[in-house]
Amino acid sequence: MSETPAEQPGAAPPPPDSEPPETFAARLSARYRIGGIVAPLITTVVAFLAGGIVVGATGHNPLSTYRAIFNGTGLNWLFPWVSGADRVDAAINLQQTLIQTTPLILTGLAVAFAFRCGMFNIGGQGQYLVGAYVAIFVGSSWAHLAGPAHVFLAVALAALAGAVWGGIAGFLKATTGAHEVISTIMLNWVAIWVGDYFFGLSGPFQGPDQFNPISNTVADSAKLPVFWGDPELQGLHVGIFIALGALVVFWVILNRTTIGYEVRAVGFNPSAAEYGGISVKKNYFRAMAISGMFAGCAGAMDILGWEFNLSTPAIHASSIGFIGVAVALLGRNTAIGTFLGALLFGALYVGTSTRQLDATVFDPQLASNLTLIIQGLVVLFVGADLLIIGIWQWRKRVRLRTRQPAG
Amino acid sequence: MSTVELRERLADRAVAGPKQVAITGTFLGILAAWLALPPATVRTSTVPIVLGAIAIALGGYAALRDERRVGYGAVAAGIVGIPLGLLVQHSSVSHLDAAFAWGTLLAATLRYATPLTFAALGGMFSERSGVVNIGLEGMMLAGAFFGIWGADKSGSWIGGVAIAMLAGGVFGLVHAIFAIHLRADQIVGGTAINFLSLGLTGYLFIQVYGSNGTPSLSTGHWLTGESIPDVTISSGNNFFAQVFGQLNLMIWISFAVLVLSYLLMFRTSIGLRIRACGEHPRAADTVGIDVYKVRYVSVVVSGMLAAMGGAYLSVGFTHSFNENMTEGRGFIALAALIFGKWRPFGAFAAALLFGFSTALAYAIPPAYSDTASSVLRSSALFQALPYILTLIAVAGVIGRSIPPAADGRPYKRQ
Amino acid sequence: MAASPVLELRGITKQFPGVLANDHIDLDLKRGEVHALLGENGAGKSTLMNILYGLYRPDEGEISVNGKPVTFSSAKDAIAQGIGMVHQHFMLIPVMTVAENIVLGAEPTGAGIMLDYGAARERVREIARTFGFQVDPDARVENITVGQQQRVEILKALYRRADILILDEPTAVLTPQEATELFGILRSLKAEGMSVIFISHKLNEVLDIADRISVLRRGKKIDTVPRAGVTEEGLARMMVGRDVLLRVEKPPASVGDPLLEIHDLHVLDDRDIAKVRGVSLQVRAGEILGIAGVDGNGQTELVEAVTGLRTSSSGTIAVAGKTMPRHAHSRAMLDAGTGHIPEDRQRRGLVLEFSLAENIALHDYCYPPDSEHGWLFPRRLIQHARRLIKDFDVRGGGPTTRAGALSGGNQQKVVVAREVDRNPKVLVAAQPTRGLDVGAIEYVHRRLVTERDEGRAILLVSLELEEILSLSDRILVMFEGQIVGEYPPTATEEELGLAMIGAGKEHAA
Repeated sequence: MSETPAEQPGAAPPPPDSEPPETFAARLSARYRIGGIVAPLITTVVAFLAGGIVVGATGHNPLSTYRAIFNGTGLNWLFPWVSGADRVDAAINLQQTLIQTTPLILTGLAVAFAFRCGMFNIGGQGQYLVGAYVAIFVGSSWAHLAGPAHVFLAVALAALAGAVWGGIAGFLKATTGAHEVISTIMLNWVAIWVGDYFFGLSGPFQGPDQFNPISNTVADSAKLPVFWGDPELQGLHVGIFIALGALVVFWVILNRTTIGYEVRAVGFNPSAAEYGGISVKKNYFRAMAISGMFAGCAGAMDILGWEFNLSTPAIHASSIGFIGVAVALLGRNTAIGTFLGALLFGALYVGTSTRQLDATVFDPQLASNLTLIIQGLVVLFVGADLLIIGIWQWRKRVRLRTRQPAG
Repeated sequence: MSTVELRERLADRAVAGPKQVAITGTFLGILAAWLALPPATVRTSTVPIVLGAIAIALGGYAALRDERRVGYGAVAAGIVGIPLGLLVQHSSVSHLDAAFAWGTLLAATLRYATPLTFAALGGMFSERSGVVNIGLEGMMLAGAFFGIWGADKSGSWIGGVAIAMLAGGVFGLVHAIFAIHLRADQIVGGTAINFLSLGLTGYLFIQVYGSNGTPSLSTGHWLTGESIPDVTISSGNNFFAQVFGQLNLMIWISFAVLVLSYLLMFRTSIGLRIRACGEHPRAADTVGIDVYKVRYVSVVVSGMLAAMGGAYLSVGFTHSFNENMTEGRGFIALAALIFGKWRPFGAFAAALLFGFSTALAYAIPPAYSDTASSVLRSSALFQALPYILTLIAVAGVIGRSIPPAADGRPYKRQ
Repeated sequence: MAASPVLELRGITKQFPGVLANDHIDLDLKRGEVHALLGENGAGKSTLMNILYGLYRPDEGEISVNGKPVTFSSAKDAIAQGIGMVHQHFMLIPVMTVAENIVLGAEPTGAGIMLDYGAARERVREIARTFGFQVDPDARVENITVGQQQRVEILKALYRRADILILDEPTAVLTPQEATELFGILRSLKAEGMSVIFISHKLNEVLDIADRISVLRRGKKIDTVPRAGVTEEGLARMMVGRDVLLRVEKPPASVGDPLLEIHDLHVLDDRDIAKVRGVSLQVRAGEILGIAGVDGNGQTELVEAVTGLRTSSSGTIAVAGKTMPRHAHSRAMLDAGTGHIPEDRQRRGLVLEFSLAENIALHDYCYPPDSEHGWLFPRRLIQHARRLIKDFDVRGGGPTTRAGALSGGNQQKVVVAREVDRNPKVLVAAQPTRGLDVGAIEYVHRRLVTERDEGRAILLVSLELEEILSLSDRILVMFEGQIVGEYPPTATEEELGLAMIGAGKEHAA
């Protein structure tokens, strides 16, 4: 048997023209094989450390800041030793965290699903907003419908609106080759300004208060029921179960259906997929539409679950869809990872909000920007495979070196 | 080649090509709407309908002859042109004259285009060297904040612009390190730069200035020497004076940067090397060009130019800073770059087009404040116009842009 | 020795993760000689030359130029020592002009940093004149022929005053006639006192041009011999380490009905240039039809049209008597009974990130038993894969192994297994052995003959004349998008070579 070097797996020297694998999905996958669960953990730790340096450098105490933020998230509810009034407070805080986690899971999935098809959906924000607009329209106008039907209709149409918004980018990519990154960014801004027009002063969907740019309010029949906490105090609504269900749907579609097989094949290698008889264009469109569906659903969750109306400043300030990018990247575009990423950012978001953060410890306005900084650092490091791999290998080398003298 | 030959060839092309037919159609579609505007203000509905119909017909003809892209472009121009023309005719001439005062409108166009020009030229350096830069938005925002902060601290706008460029350069450097040495995905890296800049400028803004906002002319804490001055070359009332008479110094600087960028990129050895790195980095490497160095410098320069655009916004235009004040201009600049096919003058033309649509967004609502139409009284839909135009542009209706071959691909040195 | 060598390598060693690419290699180059470096794919030739050109750094060993030891940390250092390299994949920028490509990195500048295009053009013309080349300095590289592009690469080295020229597999992309021209150029360079290292795995070329020959095998230098007195067989044995089978044994074909019929096919490429211009052909059951031609003469587009990966602009394709619609997608072609071994298995044939099981399901994932009503059954995929891995002797992994973890030969076995197992009527094999080692080549060749004998119609497209000659029952030559001649398998390489550059048009059968 002739065993030339090339016959051994991975033994061939790198060819002179070794390019990185073609698509982003393939690159990500290559990295995931190396770092395991460690890479996202390192990423998070490094991001929080760097955030702490910013806090420290501007004359605040990072430790007490982080502790105050943590207490604001309500995650201490999970500790059995927290009791009495603290526990009541923690429960209320945790409800808020989970309320934020709900749309983040969905916008995270919106980014992750497109990623798995080799596309970068930065348009989660726009898809989320059009979903929210439709949820407001349906939720506030068809009040004669029975509760469950009204809720279902509002959620379904919001998801559909998101699917259309995402589908536009997919359609343009499939037919004209327009890069989805550019088109989804543009669609975000179009969605923002259209909302500004809809609900702005003298806009067609402005609510009864003609001096404020606020939409109509959702009817009671369309509100998602609260199952934990006081509905009057913004308790936790059932949308969290819809989000958890979406995680299952995401996993099942990807791993147990032919649609998912096609999505993954296109994501890893479009030309091989086409060779396999898969229509790459159809999949670009379909994956973006499914992505948009998740994001549109996220918009419905927020509107029907706790916001009930939208003002134009809120539209401009919203960033749930953008955080979805960080959620999906940190969660490595998997179902479980997206859940954990959404919980982390939901907690950060709530922990740094004006309502939750003790302003005597740290100014919430600073803190909400700190969230953005941490978010930026997470995305920065999560894209840097070499850095993570480098740290990982350095760690191994250190371990080897420390073992050598002993052996 | 003799002139006769040349004319024959031109005639050949003009008569034969379905592409030319489609371009004519596109032109007619635009004309359908244009003629209804001042100064022509044509008032008969047949004009836009006929012109638009011809545009659609020509586009359809071209599309059937395999010139789909431009063909459908002409069809779209016709479909949009007819209702637009009819809509404009519904408006009274006095309203139109108020909104379409071309002199002031074009001066405003230049003002809105300038930040885009700076950032798009910055983007050109980065992308021509092979590094995709969607972090332009963040670099601009950094320029806007540090421009104000620098002007405030140094007491002069020059200090402000210098510090803005330094900050933009630092953000560029971060992007470069991740894109070049760490070979991170450049789109992810750019997204991170945008988040990071949004957070950092917002954080420092609150930390330094609190909720009261930056010093401004109205609160009296702002010295006139801290604003970038206007250059008055004419104060007359003719068309030329209205457009160019009183422009900010930064606008003139942007023209200079535009020309210099062109010369540097296409007429010098440095430009040749930058372009080589963006087209075929290995080839550049094999003739001894340090690809990493070229890319580092290009990306840092890109950050500095984008920051100049941001500094113009804050120090030269609004004289203040707000959180997220660039509001997506970096992305429009990126789109202008793509629309302009990664060429300086192309990008500038696109920046002018987008600047014009923004100028309209601000000119129309005040002119129509006495009407019942919510569309015209709110500027929101006109604010969306640049994004819609960009969407149409990246869809490639007007010619396809081909990026530098190695744009976005990390290079691994052997 | 009369003259000291211009270049000397001593004990060069280079280790890559998992493989010793160069193992203590010694080599010397005399002034005015052509020194051939012979070896199989993966023998370490390219690594050695990349070290010599400063692109890799050796782990051990030293390089001396004109007797002085040197260390190269980048190509710049090598260039400074007068070393020039013509890479196998040209290092040219397609959208730039010939002059721009040549002066890049050492540009003549006018005032300050302004590039002096006039001087650049003049210098290029001047060097071209000195060595008798014909090039237009203002032509864009993407618009000139491959042979001209290679000359631009040589000019690039000469512009930098190289006196040592390394050519890495220079004839791989050339027609036999262009190769002859290249050899002429090399002889005149030699006469000017230049020293040339000529890398190849083609024995006949090496014997044609070299003064001395060094053979590499698996990272080691086997020997350096003068050209005089060596035979093709002797060199082959040195290269491979055993006797090689130069021809494939095959029984005569028993031919049946035509299964693939192409009539007057026209196909455009991505840039809307007509690449296939009126091709008509038939492949019958039980025969291998070989298509020979120089790369870029429309073979790729022909294959893509036949397999539904590219829409033809006119003409018809019929599979097993059924005419396919013009816009038939790859799915329709697969369902009609075509199989396809693509020319680039890593980009087309496999999803490297998928497991072997998922790769084997690449065509039939949407049909039972792999899936029903859109539901996928991963376990059935694995069972199917397990059977094929056994039947086709795929080594290096099981059904859940990532395809990318396999060696090239085993990857190709997976592709062949998948295509053959679907029982296609027509099998299109494009460059089926590219980049494989000898053992894997033998396997693929034998398998193609077996499939022919099973009664399939096989369309073989290859750039390797040897492969075409040894496998085909009939040979068509493609030139500029047209079939320019039909030949029996007894044709000589020279006959085919002439036809491949369009000189054999009148021969059309």
